[in-house]
Amino acid sequence: MKHISILIASFLFSLLFFDKSIGLNLSIFSIITIVFLGFYNLKAFKNLRIRFYTLAYIITAIFVFVQHSGLSIIANCIAFFTLVGAISEQNTSIYINWLNGMFTTIAAFFYKYISGNSSEEKVDWKKNIDILHLAKLIGIPLVFIIVFVLLYKNGNPVFNDLINTISFDFINFQWVLFTILGYYLFSNISKPVQIEPITSQDKQITDKLYKSEHFSEVQLKKEKQLGTTLLGLLNLLILLYIATDVTYLMTTNATTGTELSSQVHNGINTLIASILIAIVIILYFFRGNLNFYSENKILKNLTYVWIILNVSLIGLIAIKNQNYIALYGLTYKRIGVYVYILLTCVGLITTFLKVLNIKNMVYLFRINTQIAFILLIVFSTINWDHTITKYNLNTAQNFDISYLINLSNRNAVLLYEQKDNIIASHEHKKRIDTKYWSYVEDVVQNEWQEYSYETFVISKKHPNSETK
Amino acid sequence: MNLPGNLFKSALLAFAIFWFIIISEDGIDSDTLLLMFLSCIPIFLMVTIVIIGSICPVFWLASKEHTNKQDIFKTYFPYYAIIASSACVFGIYASNNELIAFFSSAFITTCQSWVWFAKEKNE
Repeated sequence: MKHISILIASFLFSLLFFDKSIGLNLSIFSIITIVFLGFYNLKAFKNLRIRFYTLAYIITAIFVFVQHSGLSIIANCIAFFTLVGAISEQNTSIYINWLNGMFTTIAAFFYKYISGNSSEEKVDWKKNIDILHLAKLIGIPLVFIIVFVLLYKNGNPVFNDLINTISFDFINFQWVLFTILGYYLFSNISKPVQIEPITSQDKQITDKLYKSEHFSEVQLKKEKQLGTTLLGLLNLLILLYIATDVTYLMTTNATTGTELSSQVHNGINTLIASILIAIVIILYFFRGNLNFYSENKILKNLTYVWIILNVSLIGLIAIKNQNYIALYGLTYKRIGVYVYILLTCVGLITTFLKVLNIKNMVYLFRINTQIAFILLIVFSTINWDHTITKYNLNTAQNFDISYLINLSNRNAVLLYEQKDNIIASHEHKKRIDTKYWSYVEDVVQNEWQEYSYETFVISKKHPNSETK
Repeated sequence: MNLPGNLFKSALLAFAIFWFIIISEDGIDSDTLLLMFLSCIPIFLMVTIVIIGSICPVFWLASKEHTNKQDIFKTYFPYYAIIASSACVFGIYASNNELIAFFSSAFITTCQSWVWFAKEKNE
């Protein structure tokens, strides 16, 4: 039964992906994978966390079809690894799920062979058939027959003609290999495996920080004094920096691209250094027993103020970035600055929670990777090319039309629709036309496996174009 | 460790996978046959370099801590497989799918070589 279901899944895998680009096939594959995993691991799907990861996987599958972007495909793959890894062991960190999921997908076949997960089946097989002997029995004569046939072909024209009449063109060997790949993949994920000892070690580690037995109050007092002095001075310094930065923002009227770019990039460099050092300092002082020291309130309050001031610094960078965007439009790099700002903010908030709730370093890794996973899924739901183009054409004071034309085809429709409303040279408008019509040509030639939401939009606009 | 036996079996496996993928794409004729014979030497050399350079050191170094070869396999093979597969996928992508046969055979052969080492009786 197991082999039949894996065979069916591998045939579907070939049907969906062989010689096709990504589109509707990846979304359907995700659904097949969920059904397949559910068939073999039904108990695991009763777990709330598994259900959440399944939902995340379904969402990414939907957005592969809707957005058809590289980011949505990456998010779908990561969601796949997460789900497979979580089925192998539910109560571990998400990064351990990724490792287990990747390993299961890539090489569980070899691991199962040694660890003996499938030993019962192997014993039964071996009782009935000697596989190695069978392989030799078929393989060795086959290889020698092929070699000698090829040799004899050159020696005798009649034999050559006879051999040439034999054709195996009806068999597509590449398709066969691809189906074997599908079989390998589904066979691997049918029973996900765990990497040991890292999985069991991760299960044992809790998020809480515990007081150690060696507790020197004198040492802690010295550490507290150092921490209070350092953080007190750093708070004063950052306050001064923020004050001068606010003054600079309010008094200077930077309008040139170079000035604004320099403001944002210098600010980002400062921010990177500042936030990293801030987090390291906080983690150093709150790494152990100082968390439980009764006289640590001043140090804790200074840490909270330091975190809040760093968040204010982030706010200032965001204002500078927004000024830059309002004047010169959105680009991937400027969106990247916002993403960095968001991630930094998240990092600071989780560090704040770590100090507040007396958590350890593992907590920070766990929660930050979980948030990164959620953010990746959220970002994959957005058509960034369309968003950039729409913002630049409708809101930005200046924009680079060449940059918009050079983006992926996912803004082709919008550019084409708005080309008469924008000020652009004849050459640029011609490039927009070329981009749009070559996109239409590509889309209408897609096979059903390669369909995306935009295929239907284009087909509706151009009903006379022939789709396969 | 039965290194010569492992190298021989691995070279044979790499040869079979490599040429099966190429033949499935381009077909076979007498010129291909000559190339197949000639390729035995570089394939064996590549297999030897990769196995001695990447798998054997793990077994040699880990044998101080682990007495059982299967324990070494269970502990280190997963990371090896993840790194090797990432490198192979990158290689295939960077070569614009030109080197699928090479990287596929490299990945499968190294994984199987691990299995053969792990299945050996402990010394």
